[in-house]
Amino acid sequence: MEAYFIAIGIIALIYVILSLGLTLQYGLTGLINFGHVGFFAIGAYTSALLALKGVPLVFSFAAAAALAGLAAWPIGLVSLRLRDDYFAIVTLGFSEVVRIVITSERWLTNGVQGVPGIPRLYDSLGGSVAQLAVLVTVLAVTLVGVWIIRRIAGSPFGRLIEAIRDNEEAVQALGKDPARFKIQVLVVGAALAGIAGAFYAHYITYIVPDQFIPLVTFYVWMAIIMGGVGRVSGAIVGTAILMLFLEGSRFLRDIVPGVSEVDMASVRIGAVGLLLVLFIMYRPQGLMGDYTKR
Amino acid sequence: MFYAQLLVNGLVQGLVIGLAALSITLVFGIARFPNAATGDFMTFGAYAALSAHKATGSIAMGGLAAIIATGVISLLAYLAVFRQLAERSVVALLVASIGIAFFIRAVLGVAFGHSQQVFQVPLSRPYVFGSVRITPLDLQLALVALAALALVFAILYLTPIGRQMRAVADNRDLARVSGIRPDRVMIALWLLAGSVAGIAGMMLGIKTIVTPEFGWEMLLPAFTAAILGGIGSPVGAVVAGLILGVVQEVSTPLVGFTYKIAVAFIIMLAVLLVRPRGLFGRLEGAR
Repeated sequence: MEAYFIAIGIIALIYVILSLGLTLQYGLTGLINFGHVGFFAIGAYTSALLALKGVPLVFSFAAAAALAGLAAWPIGLVSLRLRDDYFAIVTLGFSEVVRIVITSERWLTNGVQGVPGIPRLYDSLGGSVAQLAVLVTVLAVTLVGVWIIRRIAGSPFGRLIEAIRDNEEAVQALGKDPARFKIQVLVVGAALAGIAGAFYAHYITYIVPDQFIPLVTFYVWMAIIMGGVGRVSGAIVGTAILMLFLEGSRFLRDIVPGVSEVDMASVRIGAVGLLLVLFIMYRPQGLMGDYTKR
Repeated sequence: MFYAQLLVNGLVQGLVIGLAALSITLVFGIARFPNAATGDFMTFGAYAALSAHKATGSIAMGGLAAIIATGVISLLAYLAVFRQLAERSVVALLVASIGIAFFIRAVLGVAFGHSQQVFQVPLSRPYVFGSVRITPLDLQLALVALAALALVFAILYLTPIGRQMRAVADNRDLARVSGIRPDRVMIALWLLAGSVAGIAGMMLGIKTIVTPEFGWEMLLPAFTAAILGGIGSPVGAVVAGLILGVVQEVSTPLVGFTYKIAVAFIIMLAVLLVRPRGLFGRLEGAR
């Protein structure tokens, strides 16, 4: 039972790191990033493949963050001068292309068979102690992430990106170049997703392209929309609800007989779709958002 | 002459992309957001056609079912969701369209299962022109697509409701003060966009295999064609669809089958960099 809670805690914190990245990008800056899972995938594969080549995990994690951030750079350069909705399409396309590349380049990623046997963190400690150490590490990274986002939100830079979200023309009129700041935000958010990906790969120890479908992006969107866009507390509460939902749907399958795994996957996708629509329509400010506004 | 064959295959594929892009560009031009549910509307159309085809044995009945059922689903999505969000930001509409896409896919997955399904169409001998082979099926599909396109363009350019739709696309406020009722225009728009996506889905289903995910995979090429053609330009969407279909097909021997979608993505980036308004688009818009 304890082990179960530790496992859930690790996965939940990985989702919190993902939603922190999206909070920075969408919540604070207004960037409609529909390709979050692409950066997550780059982080996961980078760290996993490097670690299997014998690179120490500290460096493989750093490389995961760096490569994910680096991948965001050209995407930002191309599309950030365009309208919001174009950016959404481009990022969605980017994450699909990432998945196609890791599916097709078998020499590097082993294609659909995936990468097995990824080394765990703290493997030498063994068993439950190692698990606990992983949990503490992810928690520490998450807290650092929360601290950074809080700091950014309160800084002049934070006021500037929020101004970009609220009125981009006004920011331009003040002589600032919004695209430059948006690219910075995009890169930092992508690097966070890359770190989340690295933790995921080394925790699950086996990654395949099918784990990096757009649905994951929208799990994160669902979390921040349910929690409340633009608030760190919203990202955390939203992720907690997301985990309840994901784990709950697993339990439901154990209880209700005769439901196959693919059916359950359909039900899960349908519930995500329905929740996204309902929250956007009836509670766009999320659960932690301002209750007086609509 | 290998490439002539690819050209022919690309044109048929391009008609499917063009129809999907037409659905996207109509909605983008008039309702002002990129409808990410278009791919799953296509899937819906394919399953509707599949069911009708199984029941009656006639492809024509399948097409009719795809047109009607997908038009209705699209209209329902508008009435239940998109209309309520009309005054909200584009991201609300965009996220809602993703939600609807997931929901449709889930319903189809539960109703029809996840195994691959195919249209049982009789095999027939291809016509041979020199070294180019064209199957009667491809020819029929092309004719169906051309008929659908002719009908859509007739509605857009020859009927009062079509003129009103184009007026709203041009300038919503000006259309309103000239006495055009936006409600009627939107209902016509969503019926039309859904039906077009439904036909595209049926064609794709006949050419390939039908799964609950297969429409979603067409979303990126369709968006690319809509952007390449110029958002809001129906002619542009079809022309760009044909170009994209041919380019994807011709590039396949060079980059491999799996990179088809990546080719579409690269083209999208290139268009956005070089000419964001696309081939036939107006100057404002993209930036």
